[in-house]
Amino acid sequence: MSAETGDAGGRPGDARRGELAIAAVLVVLAVVIVALARRIEPGVLTDPLGSRAFPLALGAAIGLCGLLLAATTLAPGRFAGGAPVFVEDGPVDEPAAPLLGRLVAAVVLTAAYVAAFEPLGYLLATPAYVAAILLVQGGSSLRAFAAAPLLVTGAFYAAFRFGLLIPVPDGVLERWLPW
Amino acid sequence: MTVLEGLGAGFMSAFEGARFLAMVAGVAWGVIGGAIPGISGAVAMALALPFTFALDATTALCMLAGVWAGANYGGSIPAILMRIPGTPASAACLMDGYELTRQGRAAKALGVSLVCGTIGGVASIVVLIAMVLPLGEVVLHFGSPETFALAVFALTLLAGLAEASFLKGLASGLFGLLLTTVGLDSLTGSLRFTFGRTELMTGVDVVAAMVGLFAVSEMFHRIAHPEDVPDVMVGRAYTAFPTLAELRELWPATLIGTIVGLIVGVMPGAGATASSFVAYNEARRWSKHPELFGKGSMEGVAAPETANNAVQGGDLVPTLALGIPGSNSAAIMLAALILHGIQPGPFLLSKHGQLVYTLFAGLLIVNVLMIPVGLVILRLCLLALRLAPPVLVAAVLALCVIGTYASELTIVNPWTMLVFGILGYGMRLSGFSAAAMVLGMVLGVMAESELRRSLIISHGSWTIFLTRPITAALLFLTVGVLVYPVVFGVLRRRRARRAVTAPPIA
Repeated sequence: MSAETGDAGGRPGDARRGELAIAAVLVVLAVVIVALARRIEPGVLTDPLGSRAFPLALGAAIGLCGLLLAATTLAPGRFAGGAPVFVEDGPVDEPAAPLLGRLVAAVVLTAAYVAAFEPLGYLLATPAYVAAILLVQGGSSLRAFAAAPLLVTGAFYAAFRFGLLIPVPDGVLERWLPW
Repeated sequence: MTVLEGLGAGFMSAFEGARFLAMVAGVAWGVIGGAIPGISGAVAMALALPFTFALDATTALCMLAGVWAGANYGGSIPAILMRIPGTPASAACLMDGYELTRQGRAAKALGVSLVCGTIGGVASIVVLIAMVLPLGEVVLHFGSPETFALAVFALTLLAGLAEASFLKGLASGLFGLLLTTVGLDSLTGSLRFTFGRTELMTGVDVVAAMVGLFAVSEMFHRIAHPEDVPDVMVGRAYTAFPTLAELRELWPATLIGTIVGLIVGVMPGAGATASSFVAYNEARRWSKHPELFGKGSMEGVAAPETANNAVQGGDLVPTLALGIPGSNSAAIMLAALILHGIQPGPFLLSKHGQLVYTLFAGLLIVNVLMIPVGLVILRLCLLALRLAPPVLVAAVLALCVIGTYASELTIVNPWTMLVFGILGYGMRLSGFSAAAMVLGMVLGVMAESELRRSLIISHGSWTIFLTRPITAALLFLTVGVLVYPVVFGVLRRRRARRAVTAPPIA
């Protein structure tokens, strides 16, 4: 995993800044959790600990993890186990940068698919989604691009609707089906 | 009910028509899924989860056990034939497996992988049965404080074994615990972190979260890093079983693989990948022909493949006896229980004995089923390997949405899945542990409710955790796990300083 995290690969300064940013995110997250936990209303029944204590403790512990992560990053020699290992000398295998455009497109398309899943119905939304994801990734042959959306949609429809007897959302197309 | 009676009833139950078919289907999907690079055993299991919705809990678990066992073998098919590990655990067997393919002995290597994997799997399940039942007796003495201490200990132990950093592993686990507090508090009736949304009153769906963390994040990774997807050149292949004489020669490697797999499997978080590499090294150390390792040694295939499958039994010891999943795959087994309304934990064995016995029988059956299914399905695996990676990614993402929707016929679950898919991808990039987070989600309900019940029992006194020996011991061990890295670091620094300042020996 370290190769992906930038712990081992990349420049030491970048990795250190990355770790500090992660530590900061943890601390901010902890503050938000604690603030939200303090607003939890007491319930109808009571117990010695109450509803707030567990989330409050977890928030505090996450914050502590963030602070310790920052400390181990700033003074790596003082701790063991928490500090990232920086490669000081020699060439390093830089992990390839993610194709962010593709990733964002895939996330947006998946969100659109989920949003359209019930209003459009399974049979209309799924082939469109599969085709769009193929398009985003590129490299598919025309045959795969034409066949895959229909085959994937048909296979899962048959598996869920007839194999598992679990209904999928009905939309425009489903109204024309005989079953 | 004696063990043999329980197992007898378990076998009767496991061989019921639909259950047996589900196991065959599970093994078949496991072998195919495992053969596809990028679909690890856990991802194959997460993708199979939606297909268990229509099944009862026992059948679902038996099917998932089949997927798990099948994926262990499936991963070795591309490793042996193409030098591409289908699953991380099969990376150890490719060193000699692919050499054997180059020497024209691929069929025999596949046969050794299949037979030795089956031997390892069956042996580990026998040991599992022998270990879980006595542990189950001990667990009967557990009360709320012990159960809480056990959950805390499990979490810190697994965080300590997180790959990138202990602190990130711990933070992941704590966040997983926090997620279980979302929704209606069952003890007081107050609402927590629902933000006025009725959909959040029942909490975060563990299955949707798991599918997102494992399967969706993996697909997002494949989209963002297409260079990580290997080019697959598929040829023809068949399987040839080893003869009895060959098996006699391989038995030391098989035995080493079984022992290593069991020991590593019992250790939470260590997993199949570590076990197969340790077994490979140990087999080479004890072999009469260590010089052949790396150059096409059958022992080099037998040992890691046996260990790979033997992990399953070891992994299930803490999972079934204590409710602590030792790996992603074991966590998915526990999530399947939650999905079917059964709360996993130390009392699983005493409350659902019949289910556990049927699972034991099912585990033995699926490991044996690997041989016929593995033989028949090889050609299908090669077809699956020909599937273009973009088509696979699109199909898996669509299945994730459909599957999570189908679990409760609500669109909230696919949204949850998507959020956790993005989160999982981010966690992977930044070195957090999805496995620790899932463990937190599985253990969270148990941890909080048992903590609060303990304090109700003690009228609010925290000394209850120190006056009960098992609880105190577990919490002491937890502190040890937390403090150990710091103390070890200080000692190492002192030793290093002393070595620098010490006068040279004349």
